[in-house]
This record gives sequence, structure tokens and C-alpha cells, in this order.
Amino acid sequence: VHRLFDRQLEKARKKSGVVDLMTLGDIVSEAYEQAERDRRRTDRSISLMIEELDQLNGQLEQQVTERTAALRAREVDLETQNARFSTAANNMSQALLLLDGSARLLMCNTRYLELYRLSPDVVQPGCSLVDLLAARVKNGTWIGDPQQYVDMVFALMQGGKPASWLAELPDGRTISVLVHPLPGGGWVTTHEDITERRVAEMRIAHMARHDGLTGLPNRDYLREQLAEKVSQLGQGDGLAVLYVDLDQFKSINDTLGHSVGDELLKAAADRIKAIAGEHVVARLGGDEFVIVQSGVKTRKDTIELVERICDAIRSPFELCGHVVTAEASMGVSFAPDDAEEPNDLLKHADMALYRAKDERRGSYRFFEPEMDARIKARHLMEQALRDAISNGEFEMNYQPIVDLRDGRVTCCEALIRWNHPTLGRIPPAEFIPIAEANGLIVAIGDWVIRQACAEVSMWPPDVKVAINLSPIQLMNPKLLQVVAVAIAAAGIEPSRLEIEITETVLMQNTASTLSILRRLHDLGISISMDDFGTGYSSLSNLRSFPFDKIKIDRCFISGLPTEDDSVAIVRAVVGLARSLRMITTAEGVETLEQIEHVRMLGCNEMQGNFFSAARPPAEVRQMLASGPRRIAKSA
Amino acid sequence: MKATIMSWKGGPGWTGSRAQRDRRTDLVLYFGATDILKSSHCYEDLRAAFPTAHLVGCSTGGQIRGDQILDDETAAVALSFEATRIRIATGEASNLIDSRSCGEAIGRQLADDDLAGIFILSDGVHINGSELVRGVTSVVGPSVPLTGGLAGDGPRFESTVVGADGPPRGNLVAAVGFYGAAIRIAHGSAGGWDQFGPRRKITRSKGNVLFELDGEPALDLYERYLGEEDARKLPSAALLFPLLVYEPGQPGNEIVRTVLAIDRQARSMTFAGDVPEGLVAQLMRGNFDRLAEGAAKAAGQIRANVPPNPDGDEVAILVSCIGRRLLMGQNTLDEIEAAGAELGNAVKQIGFYSYGEISPHAVSGVCQLHNQTMTITTLSETAA
Repeated sequence: VHRLFDRQLEKARKKSGVVDLMTLGDIVSEAYEQAERDRRRTDRSISLMIEELDQLNGQLEQQVTERTAALRAREVDLETQNARFSTAANNMSQALLLLDGSARLLMCNTRYLELYRLSPDVVQPGCSLVDLLAARVKNGTWIGDPQQYVDMVFALMQGGKPASWLAELPDGRTISVLVHPLPGGGWVTTHEDITERRVAEMRIAHMARHDGLTGLPNRDYLREQLAEKVSQLGQGDGLAVLYVDLDQFKSINDTLGHSVGDELLKAAADRIKAIAGEHVVARLGGDEFVIVQSGVKTRKDTIELVERICDAIRSPFELCGHVVTAEASMGVSFAPDDAEEPNDLLKHADMALYRAKDERRGSYRFFEPEMDARIKARHLMEQALRDAISNGEFEMNYQPIVDLRDGRVTCCEALIRWNHPTLGRIPPAEFIPIAEANGLIVAIGDWVIRQACAEVSMWPPDVKVAINLSPIQLMNPKLLQVVAVAIAAAGIEPSRLEIEITETVLMQNTASTLSILRRLHDLGISISMDDFGTGYSSLSNLRSFPFDKIKIDRCFISGLPTEDDSVAIVRAVVGLARSLRMITTAEGVETLEQIEHVRMLGCNEMQGNFFSAARPPAEVRQMLASGPRRIAKSA
Repeated sequence: MKATIMSWKGGPGWTGSRAQRDRRTDLVLYFGATDILKSSHCYEDLRAAFPTAHLVGCSTGGQIRGDQILDDETAAVALSFEATRIRIATGEASNLIDSRSCGEAIGRQLADDDLAGIFILSDGVHINGSELVRGVTSVVGPSVPLTGGLAGDGPRFESTVVGADGPPRGNLVAAVGFYGAAIRIAHGSAGGWDQFGPRRKITRSKGNVLFELDGEPALDLYERYLGEEDARKLPSAALLFPLLVYEPGQPGNEIVRTVLAIDRQARSMTFAGDVPEGLVAQLMRGNFDRLAEGAAKAAGQIRANVPPNPDGDEVAILVSCIGRRLLMGQNTLDEIEAAGAELGNAVKQIGFYSYGEISPHAVSGVCQLHNQTMTITTLSETAA
């Protein structure tokens, strides 16, 4: 019997022990009802629960669907971003490496693989930097201990700051490496091949300190080195600064062209370098070289070096099919005796060079303090020269030129005189070179032209005035204008003007010089070749321009009549001029005998103290006014 | 200790009280229906039989005596201690807000160095049982076992009474303190309910008043699950679906809550203990067999700690939830039998169906108000 029914029986049992069926029925019926209620509740709660769980399930499914869609969208987004990043990374010029906090590869771009010739199979995300470096050691693009390197980078990244360095690869390339820590550990590295940039930088740095033609140190670098050498001088040590100048460079450049001139400089530089050995050799520009001789104990050491250089330059150069000879002039200064400042040492050596060239080409001089004084005097003169025009310190003298046939004055040569208030009368030979060197010659020359034109207007119409033009003046594009204005201002015929040039003029910038001369000639101005026979005496110069007159240099006239060669030369020049329909003027005629000779040799005119020295304008005017003066005929 | 089980069925006198005639009786615990305790001679008869003993009792949702459940008879146990002293304390359960201070007052009355345990009976409807327990333990400390229950009123939830050396009345809390080293108090508490359906979040509540679960009025949920027929029987019908409450992530400290009252206007439900916002709640349902197993488990917890007492009587006070009885109906006896089988034949069983059970938590050991459980307290004395 079921225990519940057992209890129900007990409950329905009367005190007599008899079961009351009515009571039992009620109890059992109640139990059934209760069981049914419980079943209904259970059913209800279970179906409700299923409903609720279904609903919840639906909500969850919906959530999962939505989240999956969102995740997918993010995934697509990330893929796009990754693609963009990857394109950017693979198209950058630098190699890129991304490493995590345990030095494992997150990514690297293709440039990295190219740069270090690595196979993509080796370089996989997740591989360690140590393995990667080991691969580079193996293919020869890196030398070092991978673990040490990784430890070093770790130590650097601990500071949280970026770091950079240059890596020299075994194949000679230079790589700029930049390491930047990443938030949350790891780092990003970029590698850039800067080999070309570095070579260019080094070349630029070299160019800034070296002469492009000879490859020698330039002035700036020389100064640095000189300063360094001076600072290193010990007790009893000395050094010499040798300032070298090639004497013939200018004329070689002019006659044979710049390319030959350049070749000469290169060849000379090579010879100097070969002799100078470990001493510093520099080119300062033009034909100027400087040698810094270290370890000088006595001047004999320097003399020996100087003479060897002179000898070396003296032996002929074979350049572009030309055999060229040159000579070196040198000035030398000594440290610490002459000076200790590099600039002073160079200046002193330059002064000594100046003196050497002044005295004799192909020679050398050591600096002496008096040279400094001379240079200072020159500077003083330069300054005085600047003030001379405005102070009216110049004056013009005129020396007559006489027709040998009738003794008539045909022309007067204008000659400048400078009367300095304290220095007194300064000869043109002293101040003209200075004026030419500093360009004052143009202003002085202009003044002379104006003076001469004004003066000739006061002379008889058949007397001309001759003006000397410096090469510097002929390079001045305003010369023609100056001459034209002076002629117009004086109201004279252009034919009253004669221009004298020396051969040197034709040697410089020939084409433009000739053009100017032609235009002057076209105006009706006569052009004379002055001092013929002393310079180049080039017959081609005579041919290059239709000179009206040749002035035979006084050195030949002074040899007359005793020196046979002088006689021969004068005769030849006169013959030549006659053939070219040029008038000849004998310069520096001092004696009656010489007059007879030059007349006999066929010269047309003569000029010299025998007839008249250069005279002030007033005297000349008076002389010309008094009519033609006959020259005494030979007795 | 000597214990005598007695009963009262309209009088005159208590059946079985003669057995105590020759000895001094220290304490009588009695349990009966509300109207009988309120309006009959039951109490007066008991006082007459035990003029010097402390008389402590309450109304119930059914009395347990031996392996029987009684509705018409009042049940009692008379206890005579060898070495144990007792003290009675009372407090007023005038409204729900004062529950904690009421507990503190009782605690202060009972606190003593050799306080070995407290058995407490409280008004069943005008009390927040959780606060009452907190009040008592805050004074006597957590190491003193506190057991007992809330008085019942059948399935009506209207009026409960408690008596403490006087005629039973409402709004009273009565407690017995046991002192000395001789008393052996053991306890066990278990439910046996099955949780079912979705886990819900308590989204709105205040103290022991629950407004919303997952944003839906709690009463709507209960009405839906009960169906029209059962919903009319609210609030007692809500006992069929107790609420399991626990903190998210701490399912080990779960508490079962049962409904005391509902408010159809506010769509709220008042529980016998706190239902804090933010906690997880899940409906539970009962299966006769597993509820009986729950009762056996509660008894098993006692036997795991305290073996049957060979030196004297051992009495077991069973306090089981009215909800269990409402669900199990005629099968309710199964749980009494199951507990008895576990405790052993020698143990004298008495008890009642309550509106809330008080006992240390089986896992945490903290004294708490339980609902929908079978809570058992055993008393015995060791030989001197």
C-alpha cells in the first residue's frame, strides 16, 4: 500500500478501528485534486518557462546575429585599414619593422626584405628579431651578435625615448636606423639607405674645402690646417709658408687658351705635391699655390724645398700637344719668427712673393719686415691716388713729335705728372701700376682724355695729340663714349687724336679690344703701336690691326749708331712698316747723330729730349705758336 | 534534560502533562492555531499545569508533534534541565522599521558570558526577520547560535500571536536564552527547492519590498506563473514559487525568500527578508520528493555534528515553511518522516509551519532569516 494511502486509511479510521469510507473518500478525493492542481501548476510553469526561455533565446539569437554583423563589419573595416596600412608600408622608401614586447616580428614591409636581401619565407610574423638578425649575418648584410643587439635595443627602449644611429653594412652601404618605442611594449624601426646622400654630403664637404681643378685644399681649408699646424708648434719647432706663383701662367692662358692654362695648373699642382710630400699643399686660386712646410729646423730645409719646386716647375710641360715652359716665383714666411697668425703668415709670404716677382721672375724671397713697410707705403700711395683727381694734383705735360723731313711738329704725346703735396713729384712708372691694379686708371685715363682733347683744340690745326691707353681702359665698355664726349666737348676733329697702345693690350681679351680699336679708328682716330720691339714683337699683332704708326722703342735707338744689331732691327722695322704703309717714329732720340741715323734708316718721325722734353701746356702752346722749328741738319 | 511532549484539544488540561508532575519544569514551548491561542483556554490550562515554568509559544500554519501534523490540536514540549539556566526576553514588533532595534533590545536582555544559544519566536507579519536577526547578532555576536522562526497564521497572512509568560498576542517577539556548558544546541537548515526559468535581475526594490524584476512588475510575473485560479489566493499562493536571491558571481550565498504580502495597486510584493537591488533572482518550484530530501538534509547537518544523546532526552524543534506545506498538501508528512528518520527514533519531535525560519546559514554560518526551508534545532544536555 502506498504510504500516502496508508496515512489516508489511518486518518479515516474511527476509534473503533473501523475505516469510515465517507471520510476516506473525502481524503482521497482531496489528494487527487491536490495532485491535479500540482500537475496543472507544473504544466503551466513549465510551458511559461519554455515560453520565457524561447523568448530569451530569440533575444540572444538576435543579439548574436547583431553582434556577429557588427564584428564582421569591424573585421571588414580592419581588413581595409590593414590593406591601406600594408600598401602605405610597402610603398614607403624606408624599410619598416614592427616588433612586439618580446622582440618578435609583428610586421615588416617589402622594402626591408629588399634592403637586406631576405626571403619572405624567413621573415614571418612571430619570428624573433634574433632569428632575423641571424639570417642577415648568414647572407652577409650584417655583422654582430644578434642577442647582444636585441639586448641593446631593449635597454634603449626602457627609456621610452626614440633612438637613432647609422649602421655601416659590410657591403659599404650606410643605413640610417631609427627606433621608436610603441605604447604597450615593442618598438617600430625604420631603416633608410642613405649611402648616396652621405657620399654626396661628403663630396659637398670636400668641395667646400678643396679646389675643383687640382683637388688641392682651398684657401679656407688651408687656413684651418695652417692654424692647426701653428697651434701644434712645439719649442724650437718652426714651419714655413711658401707662396708660389707661376710667372708665365697669364700669358699661357692668353695665348694658348684656358684649357691649356688649366692643364698647366693641374700638372704644376701634381709636381708640387710630389715634391712637398706630407707637407700641406693648397691652391688659393689663379696660379697661386701655398705649401706649408712643417718641422722646419733651419732655413736651409726651406731653401732646399723651394729650389726643388723651382726646378720641378722649370722643366717643360707637355700640355695638349703644346710644350710649355713656366717658372715659379716664391715668397716665404716663417712661423713663429715672422708671424703666428695664419692670415699674417700668408700675407707676409705674399709680400715676399711680390718682392721676388718684382726683382726677377723665377726667383724666391724670404719675408723681411721692410717688405711690410713697402706694402704699407703702397697702400698709402693708393689712398693718395684716390684723392689726387679731386685734389687737382695731376697735371699734363706734352712731348713734341717731329717730322724728320721738315722738322715740323706733327703731334705731341700727352704725359701725366703727379705732384703730391708731401711726397712731391711721383713718376708714372710708380703710380700707374698701382692705379692699374686697383682700377683707378679708368678715372685717371678719362681725365687725361678730356685734358688732351681740350689742349689740342688750342694748338695749330695740323698738330695732333697722342694719348696712351692702358689695357684696363680698353676693357672699359664706356671708353668709346668717353672719347666721343671729350672730342665733342673740345670741338675738335677726331683725326686730331692719336691713341697709343702697347702690345700687352692686344694680348688681353683680343677680340673685344680689337673691336673697340676698330670703332675708334672708324671715328678717324689714329692708332699707334707703342714701344715696339720690347714685348712680344709679334708680327701677327701688326697684322691683326691696321696700325697707323709704329713707335720704335728707345732701347734700339739708344744703341744707334754703334750697335749693329740695333741698326739692323731699326732698319727691319722701318722696312716692315713701310711695306704695311705705317709711319715709324723713333723714340728716345737724344743726339744729333741719332737723328741723322734714324733719318738715314728711313724713320718718318722722331721723339726725344734732343728736340724737346715733355713740357707744361703753356710752354708747348707758345712753342707751337712760334711756328715750325727746324732741326739742325747734320753738320 | 527531560522532555515531555504534550497536546491540547479543547481541554480541559493538557494531555501528557502528568509525566512532568514530579519534576520541576523550566520551559514549555507551545505551538497552536491563531484563533485557538487567541480565544481558548489553552494558555490558561498550560499555566495552570506549569505555574513556575516559562511558557513561550506562537501561532502557526500547522503544528508538528512526533511524526504528525496537527491543525486542530495545540502541541507543546515541557523541558526540565539538569544544569542549564534559561532567561526569557521580549521585544515589540510594532512596525517593520523597528525590527533591528527590537532585535538589539532582545540581544541586550540575553547577552551574557555563558550564553550558549537563543531560540526566538517572532510575530510573523509585523516584522522584517532579516533585520531582527541582524539586531540580535549585532549584540550577542555571531558565534552564539540563533534559531527559531516567525509565527504563522495558516495560509491567511493576517494575524499572528506570540506568547512569553503571558497570553499570546500580536506584535511580540519572544526569545529564550540558554546558559551554561551543559546544553547542546545543534541546528540544520535546508530547502530542497529547484530553481527554474531565466535568471532575473532585481531592478527595483526597497528593503524587503520588491517592485521590479528585469524592469517588469514582480507581481505581474507571479500572477502569470500562478494562473488565474492560484493568483486569487495571493499572497499565500506566491509561496508555491519562492524566490532564490543571490549576489551575481556569488551563487554559494544564496537565500530563499518568501512572500508575506502583496500590494495590487503598487504591483509590489513584500518578502519576509531583504531583496536588495542589483542582486540576481530566480523562481523556484517544489517537487515533493526533493522537498522531503531537503528536510532530511537539514537533519543530516545536525547528525553530522552532534550524535544522538545517550544521557537524556533530546528534543528536535522543527520549523518548516508554510509554503512547503501549501505545496505538498497531504504529502507534507513525508518531510517530517524524512527528518525523523535521519534524526533517529529516540529524538522527540515538535515544531510548526512558519512564516520564516531562523538559523545559521548552512554554508556561511551567519545567522539569517530563511524562507521555504526546513530548519531544525535540537536541544539536549550532557551528563554532569
